[in-house]
Amino acid sequence: MIDLLQAPCGLVLRVVDIAGGEKVRRRLFSLGLHPGDRVECVSRGILGGPLIIRPGENGSTIALGRGIARKIIVEIVHEES
Amino acid sequence: MKNPDEPVVLLIGQPNCGKSTLFNAMAGHKAQTSNFPGTTVQHTHSRVAIGGRTLNVIDLPGTYSLNPSDPAEKVALTHLFTERPDVLINVVDASILGRSLELTLELLDMGLPMIVALNMSDLAEKKGIQIDAGRLSARLGVPVIPTVGVHGRGIGGMIEAVLRCLDVPCLPLRSPRWSSAVEDPVGRLEAALPEDFPCVANRRFTAVQMIETGDSFCASFLEELRPELKRILDEVRATIELSRGLPAYEAVAAERHHLAQKIFEDASTVRRNLPRTPSERLDDVLMHPVLGYPILAAVLLGFFWLIFKIGGPLETLMLKPFSGLKAVLANGLGDGWLGHVADGLLQGVGGGAAIVLPYFLPLLLLMAILEDVGYLARAGFLLDTFMHRIGLHGKSVAPFILGFGCNVPAVTATRILESRRDRVLTSLLIPFIPCSARTTIILALIAYFLGPLGALGFYAANILLLAVLGRILSAFFKEDSPGLILEIPSLKLPRPKSVLLKVYIQLKAFVRFAWPLLIGGSILLSLIQFFGWDRTINVLLKPLTTGLLGLPAALGVTLIFGFLRKELSLLMMLQALGVAYADLPRVVSTEQMVVFTVFVSLFIPCLSTLAMLAKESGRKVALASAVLSLVVAVIVSVAVRLVF
Repeated sequence: MIDLLQAPCGLVLRVVDIAGGEKVRRRLFSLGLHPGDRVECVSRGILGGPLIIRPGENGSTIALGRGIARKIIVEIVHEES
Repeated sequence: MKNPDEPVVLLIGQPNCGKSTLFNAMAGHKAQTSNFPGTTVQHTHSRVAIGGRTLNVIDLPGTYSLNPSDPAEKVALTHLFTERPDVLINVVDASILGRSLELTLELLDMGLPMIVALNMSDLAEKKGIQIDAGRLSARLGVPVIPTVGVHGRGIGGMIEAVLRCLDVPCLPLRSPRWSSAVEDPVGRLEAALPEDFPCVANRRFTAVQMIETGDSFCASFLEELRPELKRILDEVRATIELSRGLPAYEAVAAERHHLAQKIFEDASTVRRNLPRTPSERLDDVLMHPVLGYPILAAVLLGFFWLIFKIGGPLETLMLKPFSGLKAVLANGLGDGWLGHVADGLLQGVGGGAAIVLPYFLPLLLLMAILEDVGYLARAGFLLDTFMHRIGLHGKSVAPFILGFGCNVPAVTATRILESRRDRVLTSLLIPFIPCSARTTIILALIAYFLGPLGALGFYAANILLLAVLGRILSAFFKEDSPGLILEIPSLKLPRPKSVLLKVYIQLKAFVRFAWPLLIGGSILLSLIQFFGWDRTINVLLKPLTTGLLGLPAALGVTLIFGFLRKELSLLMMLQALGVAYADLPRVVSTEQMVVFTVFVSLFIPCLSTLAMLAKESGRKVALASAVLSLVVAVIVSVAVRLVF
């Protein structure tokens, strides 16, 4: 398990846990990021810039600061295809 | 309070799902819309006459859930609970239906008559999502009307559904229930609520809210007043936490999420692996980790270049008739009080029309386009790193950019920030953003007489100052900023209707409030000059004007009026020095022009901004802002003087 910041962009990931306080967790839930769901890292800003992620199947696009991304624990999903 | 003949219709939905656009389609263009989550931070009322009835339609700020995390969301909830709506219109972004349904499920629990407006259904289809409105309606138990707010599609059907719902309340079915591990404890608490307990909406909703909000829900009250109920609440929460291994609020959120996901999958078909749409591909470039920055720089440079290129020639063109009229008036009316009043009147009217509007109008127009396209959120994403350097994060970028238009709505826009620390810090920095009034001064003095590069340098220095101040101020705040969580809305083509509406609303405010102030101020100055009082004021201010700033003493009185409206200082400058605009360089040096612009730009937030600061963040913050600006203005002005 790794955090979202270390995760490679472009692969399908699954949220394992959100290691933040209640406020951050609630905010992320309400934006559609839940433990157990898929999440995709779309891109990563340069110079410590934020990440662009897309939670869920048809989620919206969300920018996450690095501090927040570090709190999101994910695993890589190996697609059998 | 509530008029029984005027049913209340409440629009509620998640941020940026198009509530205000639907509201405008119903109410005839009253609310400002934009493509940024959290544009509506206040509620808007409108009386709408439809089919012989008058409806009281209310547009609320967007909220992701019924557990608010920023002040704008709190506004939405307060109204939801206090307006006693007859019908709720839950606006849902069809392109992100799964997530949007989570709020819908919460609303269904309230058991109020409700209609779901399945908005942006065209966007959903482009993303390959086909939604069966009938099936969705069957699952939710309330009417579901597909709409496309921007094209006015489905509005008629929605209004019909609202009217039908008023006659025969379209109450939701007994809300879909969760798994028994959560449902049973909820039922237990519901049953334990005493008869006289102050319930919101209904017993079940109240029970769920109590479990979700937990310790923040008046826990100490409950402990004192209903120790028995508090004990049951704690037990119920513990039961859920034990069986799920999650905090209670999270277990409830997870139930809701899974239910929403199930309903979404049941009511829609999704085609996968569609080719990326043109707007998505454009977004790849706009938000590209490297390319994004030169584009951002080009957009901002182009922005001011265009305003200057449109405003400059317009100004020259408009000034001519007014200076002609001035000469005629001076000859005809002589030097009496009538002549002075007429001169002041002309100065105010002409200054507003010829100096302010040429820059103000293009700025409003371009700003509205930038907002509508959805570029503000992209700028927020790109500038996040830099904002961290000054102790903030990317979400503050939108209020800052709005501040270039006017500081007042920018201060209100800080409501989208979650933490008070961020709100106060952003509010303290906003007055240092050169708003349209100051842009007018900068363009009319610096760019007009020193060339556009001078103005550009002025802007760059101003932004640098903002950064330095942010850095210094953030050291005073102990806690850290919580970090960026910002939804990026889809790119949209700007719609002429909404852009023009926005320009119109702001122009109307200018003509109604600011222009009369400019005219009144100019006439007042004329009279002050006529009676010779200006000399007393100027003598009093002399230590500041000539001593510290090296400006002509005659400008002292103009600084005072700048507090009302920044442009007033510019118009009065001409009046106080007694020269025509084009002759300005003959009486003041370049250095004095720059110092004057710097000082007027920075010295104090204008009256309206200060009032808004006090309203949003309290008098202490407003006072701090005033003192801070004054100190910074003097320091920077003196520094500029030393450099020259």
